[in-house]
Amino acid sequence: MRAVIAEDSVLLREGVARVLGDAGIEVVAACETADDLLLEVGSRTPDIAIVDIRLPPTHSDEGMQAALEIHADHPGVGVLVLSQYVEVGLAMKLLAESAEGAGYLLKDRISDVKEFVGAVERVASGGSAIDPIIVSTLLSRRRSDDPLDALTPRERAVLELMAEGRSNQGIADGLVITLRSVEKYVSSIFDKLGLPSGGSESRRVHAVLLYLRS
Amino acid sequence: MAASQAAPHPVQAPRLHPDRVALSAIGLGGLALGAVSLTLALTNDAIGSELGEPLVIALLAVWITNAYLVGGLVAWSRRPESRFGPLMIVAGFLMFVTTLSWSTKDVAYTVGQAFDVVVPVLFLHVFLAFPDGRLHGRFERALVGVGYVTALGLELVRMTLGGFGPRNLLEVTTSTGAGEVVRHVQLLTVSAICLCGVGVLAVRRRRSGRPLRRASALLVDAFGLGLIMIAVLLTSATLGAPWVNQIRWVAFVTIGLAPLAFVLGLLRARLGRSAVGGLLIDLRGEPEPTDLRDALARALRDPSLTLAYWLPEFGSYADLDGRAVSLPEPGNGSMVTVIERNGVRVAAIVHDASLQDESELLEAVTAGAGMALENAQLHAEQRAHLEELRGSRTRIVDAGRRERQRLERNLHDGAQQRLVALSLELSLLEERLASDADAQARLTAARREIGASLEELREIARGLHPAVVSGHGLAVALEHLVAGAAVPVRLTVSIGSRLPEALEVAAYYLVSESLANVGKHAQATSATVEVTRRATDVVVEIVDDGVGGADEEQGSGLRGLADRVEALGGRLRVWSPLGGGTRVRAEMPCAP
Repeated sequence: MRAVIAEDSVLLREGVARVLGDAGIEVVAACETADDLLLEVGSRTPDIAIVDIRLPPTHSDEGMQAALEIHADHPGVGVLVLSQYVEVGLAMKLLAESAEGAGYLLKDRISDVKEFVGAVERVASGGSAIDPIIVSTLLSRRRSDDPLDALTPRERAVLELMAEGRSNQGIADGLVITLRSVEKYVSSIFDKLGLPSGGSESRRVHAVLLYLRS
Repeated sequence: MAASQAAPHPVQAPRLHPDRVALSAIGLGGLALGAVSLTLALTNDAIGSELGEPLVIALLAVWITNAYLVGGLVAWSRRPESRFGPLMIVAGFLMFVTTLSWSTKDVAYTVGQAFDVVVPVLFLHVFLAFPDGRLHGRFERALVGVGYVTALGLELVRMTLGGFGPRNLLEVTTSTGAGEVVRHVQLLTVSAICLCGVGVLAVRRRRSGRPLRRASALLVDAFGLGLIMIAVLLTSATLGAPWVNQIRWVAFVTIGLAPLAFVLGLLRARLGRSAVGGLLIDLRGEPEPTDLRDALARALRDPSLTLAYWLPEFGSYADLDGRAVSLPEPGNGSMVTVIERNGVRVAAIVHDASLQDESELLEAVTAGAGMALENAQLHAEQRAHLEELRGSRTRIVDAGRRERQRLERNLHDGAQQRLVALSLELSLLEERLASDADAQARLTAARREIGASLEELREIARGLHPAVVSGHGLAVALEHLVAGAAVPVRLTVSIGSRLPEALEVAAYYLVSESLANVGKHAQATSATVEVTRRATDVVVEIVDDGVGGADEEQGSGLRGLADRVEALGGRLRVWSPLGGGTRVRAEMPCAP
């Protein structure tokens, strides 16, 4: 597995490179700017680009723009956006078309090495990784006649992990239940929310996030 | 009227100052010359056969001479700084000079005849030079110059060619045919020049761009008519038209009426003083400072009038709203009169230049309005201070915003990155110490502490400056606020592209605070957030269907937001009737 990193803080750039290296992921390029990132992605065709949302020169939206461009132009390259703040609006922008090979995490998540490497591998292989804060923010909104109220606490927990982009196996491991029960919960959730079930995990993420946002 | 209290000072410096003796001498001289003209006309038998009734002709000539002399004297004494008066006096004298051609003496005849056609050109000169006695622009000067050369030069040429009789001292040869040709060229040229003069007057009247004062407009019309009559007279004389004598009468009467119109205009100025009474009645009701200009414009009959108030602390003039204004340069038909009270500058009136004919009226009006002008000056000064305060508040709030933005940036690039890196380091250490359960537990606890610190820092950073707003725009940032709101919120953002950053940040905090209030106090079931860009402003409106009764002052945080909005020149209003929901609406100016 090959990765390109774009991060202007030396400390974090090297930290991330080390973590990935230790996990057997080859870091083929580590850049400081969005322009360099786009060049490296174009020439090295990595499996994943890990992008800081705030990059030079203006530290406004250069990283985000580059991520969106890679996501649109290189469907084979997963994009994982890292940021000091997570915003529902930005998550929706990134996932506007599809959640396939797209991730958006708070920078803090790096330090939970196992989780982080899992997210990188998921996004690199076409899955998704959505920060729990995004999911909990979307779930915090109460509505009248909310179909979410019909979910059992267990189903709600499964929904949260599903929205974060985890696989059924990941959900089973996280909640310490069997794979079969996860599958049962998932189909029950889709029934209750009136969503069409089936499809890939990333398609599932897309549908759930759009549902929660509406 | 206490003129010393509020004496108007024309900005223009006075030049020639005619004294009373000089003026009287010119007046008496005019009368004497009139008598001479009259005698000449009555003692020369030839005139009767050439021009008609000698007495009528002579009286008309005397009338024109004296009308221009008297008009000139009045103009000169009233406006010593203008050349218009002296110019009129010269015109009067020259009219007399032409009557010398009625003399039986050879020298007098020759001189009088030489200047015969110069008079119409001089009238043209007078009319074009109204009101300041100067010709403006190369074209006017060329026109009058060519006129003089044609009138005097060709007359002299014609006289050398003979045909004037034995009294003509300039006769060299007798060639009446050539003389006639020269005469035609001369009269037609002067006619054309007079018609050009009419054009100049018409253009000037149109181009002044503002309504000319009525009296001076009438005068300009009289001048135009005079010039047309001169042109008609000279042309018909050239063509030998049979009614040339009748035309001559009409032309003389018209030209003679011009100074009468001028003097009547000056007399109207005296009558205009009754307007001061009206002004005093207007001002007795202590009018709003905004009405003062209209009252003065009415009293001075000058709709173009404007006022500028002197602000000594700022060392400049300002309008009633305290905005600095500069006075127009003299010329272009407007003039500035500075008003002082007790020796202190109060204001300046910018008015039509023709008002300087009516200096008494101007003086009386400004004296009558002195107190009201002073009040208005205070008003303007207050507004200027207010403007200044508003400007400094905007600068302070803006500087604060920049400083907070800088701090947020420092936090992001410094402490936050370091803590993340530190937490990562601890995590790697944790893996290495897999065998030591105690050390691992403590490292996990330390990492959890760092995580909590990072969360607090994130909150602080967001409070300092919403980086997402400057990085990704208001619409994206509001989406998160709305998603995390306690009740379902319908969000509508129609602002086209980005707004100025200060405005976006203010709108963001306004929505953030309002939605927090909705969650805390309103007991609402839903809310709407609308951000709309209009022609000249941006409207941010947050409406909920809760219990209402919110108080802007009661620690709701809305006061601070109102400050932010007002510093941007906008205003914030809150409607929150008990049981009727709450509506928070900010309107902030935004250039299109």
